Amino acid sequence: MKKNKILEDGLLEKYLLDELSDNERLLVEDAIHKDSDLRAEFDVLEANFEKMAFENAIAPNAHVKGELQKRIGSPGPTERNRWPLMAAASLALLFLLTTFWMFNKWQAANDQLNLIESQTLSLQERLGVLEENYELTNNRLQLINSPNTIPLILRGNEKVPNSRAVAYVNHQNKLVVVNPQGLPNLPDNQTYQMWSDVDGEMIDMGLLPNDKELVTLKYIDRAESLNITIEPAGGNDHPTVERLISYVTL
Amino acid sequence: MDDSQIVHRVLQKDPTALYLLYDKYSGALLGVILRMCRNRFQAEDLLQETFVKIWENIGSYDSTKGRFYTWAYRIAKNTTLNALRKPDLLIQTDELSVHNNKAQSEPEQDFAELNGALQKLEPHHQEAISLVYFRGYTHREAYKEMGVPLGTFKSYVRQALSLLRENYSEQLVILWFTIELLA
Repeated sequence: MKKNKILEDGLLEKYLLDELSDNERLLVEDAIHKDSDLRAEFDVLEANFEKMAFENAIAPNAHVKGELQKRIGSPGPTERNRWPLMAAASLALLFLLTTFWMFNKWQAANDQLNLIESQTLSLQERLGVLEENYELTNNRLQLINSPNTIPLILRGNEKVPNSRAVAYVNHQNKLVVVNPQGLPNLPDNQTYQMWSDVDGEMIDMGLLPNDKELVTLKYIDRAESLNITIEPAGGNDHPTVERLISYVTL
Repeated sequence: MDDSQIVHRVLQKDPTALYLLYDKYSGALLGVILRMCRNRFQAEDLLQETFVKIWENIGSYDSTKGRFYTWAYRIAKNTTLNALRKPDLLIQTDELSVHNNKAQSEPEQDFAELNGALQKLEPHHQEAISLVYFRGYTHREAYKEMGVPLGTFKSYVRQALSLLRENYSEQLVILWFTIELLA
């Protein structure tokens, strides 16, 4: 459409006022877009139109804005801004669930670890006991098998006939071990006790409970004989010679 | 903040930005709506309707084709013309009948009166501009309303716009001169 026709027919004004048919509007828009003079003309027209409108403005009552705000809503998260919020909330939820799952896993693992720790501790204790037992047994075996060890049989006298204990004495290592299992059982308030005779004096070597396989006793230098008496439970300071049940000369 | 930034925020559905546009343009738009319908209650309702449409249809506004006010003016004019075409329906709804009665008993303020540069124009120029810019008449309706031939009416509008243009340019020159003097 020619510029002069647009200007002379007042098409710019009609375009501004939205009075043109769709076809005319497209033509005028195209002309404004292509022709900078027309564009400048339209800019001035629009600017003056707006000035006129402001000069003839009438302020609305305050409640109109209030009503509008009720219809549109108050400022807050907008539709578009809600997406990041929802994404963040989803992530937070996911994080929470993962944390909860991890916490449960951790608790289960912790319980298992505690169980294994206590089992290990118990096994260590048992191993300790076994090692101790093994050492003891090994020592005793070595002692018994040693060529320097003298096995001595202490037969029971008339007080305890058919009974016997076996003593293993090693003068080189200064060790005495006795197997008392051949001695008859005593009431709870009595026990067997062993003594060494040194120059006529009886020296305590220790108690001899007959429920044990081997009992290690004190080695006494220059002992001439080994003696077993029956004493009150817990042992005695001096031997009760009346209740001597066995002896053997070294 | 200029209009394009505000419009961009309205596009992102930020109500605060819409209220900024309302604060700036509601008076100018009500000036048009009220001169068309001549009932303040109805005009304010239509102003609110106009801004709801602006909010809902901001996506169709193209700043390369013109100013925001021009676009908003077209919405306001069309909304008002549509409402005036079905006055019976409006009167029957809500409390409008009450207000219509009130309007009949109390003389309505004469909103037809024009201010600013328009006041300096001859009465026939004033009326021509008023009919097409402020009262929603098309050129084809307006010339009949004025009782002059269409060609005459068109030349009235063109003369009036030319005079307004001179007037606003003079204002700019005076403003420039004043600034120069102060400097």
